[in-house]
Amino acid sequence: MLELPTLTLATWGLATALTLFLLLRTVLLRLYRTYPHFTLYLGANLLQTMIGIYSYQSYGFRSVYGYRTAWATQAFVVIARGLATAEICYRILGKFRGVWALAVRLLVTCGGIVLISTLYFGIRSYKLAVITLDMSLEAFIATWIVGLLLFARYYGVAVEREAGMIGLGLGLLSCCKLLNDLVFERHVQAYLSSWNYVSSAAFIGILLLWTWALRRPTAEAAREPHLNSAQVYQLLIPQVNEKLSALNQQLSQFWRAESSKP
Amino acid sequence: MNAVFYFVAVAVGLALAGLLFWALRGAAQRKSFDHNSGGVDNVPSPVNNMAQIRQSMDPADFEFAKAKGGPGLPGRLRHERRRVTLLYLAAIRKDFEHSLRVARIVAVLSPEVSSSQEYERIRLAMIFRWRLQMIKIRLLLGLIPQPQLTALWQMAASMAMQMEETMAKLGERAALAAELALQSEKR
Repeated sequence: MLELPTLTLATWGLATALTLFLLLRTVLLRLYRTYPHFTLYLGANLLQTMIGIYSYQSYGFRSVYGYRTAWATQAFVVIARGLATAEICYRILGKFRGVWALAVRLLVTCGGIVLISTLYFGIRSYKLAVITLDMSLEAFIATWIVGLLLFARYYGVAVEREAGMIGLGLGLLSCCKLLNDLVFERHVQAYLSSWNYVSSAAFIGILLLWTWALRRPTAEAAREPHLNSAQVYQLLIPQVNEKLSALNQQLSQFWRAESSKP
Repeated sequence: MNAVFYFVAVAVGLALAGLLFWALRGAAQRKSFDHNSGGVDNVPSPVNNMAQIRQSMDPADFEFAKAKGGPGLPGRLRHERRRVTLLYLAAIRKDFEHSLRVARIVAVLSPEVSSSQEYERIRLAMIFRWRLQMIKIRLLLGLIPQPQLTALWQMAASMAMQMEETMAKLGERAALAAELALQSEKR
């Protein structure tokens, strides 16, 4: 442990303390019932810290074993974050079954394209493959959360303050990690020491945001919407689209008439 | 990692962060959906003021005012006419946006939605907005295409009216279904 720089130890300690505080808060406010995967993610973070301390104490900070342990546990943390993201997405849009199904189809496709293209174009060497994989997963998570919030905005769906703030934190964390990994991959040697600090600072910032967002319990849960029958959609929407198309056709004719004027 | 991918990826990362804030803006203030959502009622329509708008745009009126009011009047009339036409376009747009909002509410409250229909509506709305802006620019440059605008207005108004009729029919059916369900429960 002594070979770790003081600043690294300080950021690590602060992040751990904040995670523990947030985890206790989710338990005390019984938020683990509403957000079980988010709670699991916080727990996974703490577990990773404990394993990290043990491995660095036993094998040293710069040992191969320490490096492997850190990245192996990081995989579980990223998976847990992915699950927390899916949970928030479902919490926001899941009650609207039709739009949710459409969003899942579209976002799985978009996220898949982002993931594969980041893996394909991002890989430079097998040494840095784990960073590329981390980058791809972060890009996938960020695409999901941003895409889903765009869906919610387009359809005018209200987002609960808690869910919105947790979603914002998850999305921002993924964006920060993605950008941090990108800079690291590009400038490995020059950025090596800063990479860890930037990553920790981003995580501390997000933990503070969550602590503030979860400072008090939600007054009441959003009511479940009463969905119409599928026939309403089948009856109305083609009519609307037909009319919009006709209106556009009219505009197009108008446009052509204007263009042909001398 | 090549340079192009690096810059594209950085731009995408920053864009995602920006979009995140934009998508969440005002998210908590959005109203929850229920059956009697305010968005379906109160269809705004330029129908009520159309007679006056049309009269103000009538070329005969324009000619008459020109003959009676002297050389200073045509310029003022032209300015007024342009202003009225812009208001008219704003009203058409309002009608269009309202129809889109109704469609979105219907989609959100539906257990099944068709991706092709949703995509089509997004596409049409984008084209409509872009063309409308182009027409506005042309209007501000001094062109006043009155007949085409009247046709546009008729289209928008008929769409709003048809939507209203369909919504009313659906409301009646829903009320009937609820009543039937209540009766069967009582038995």
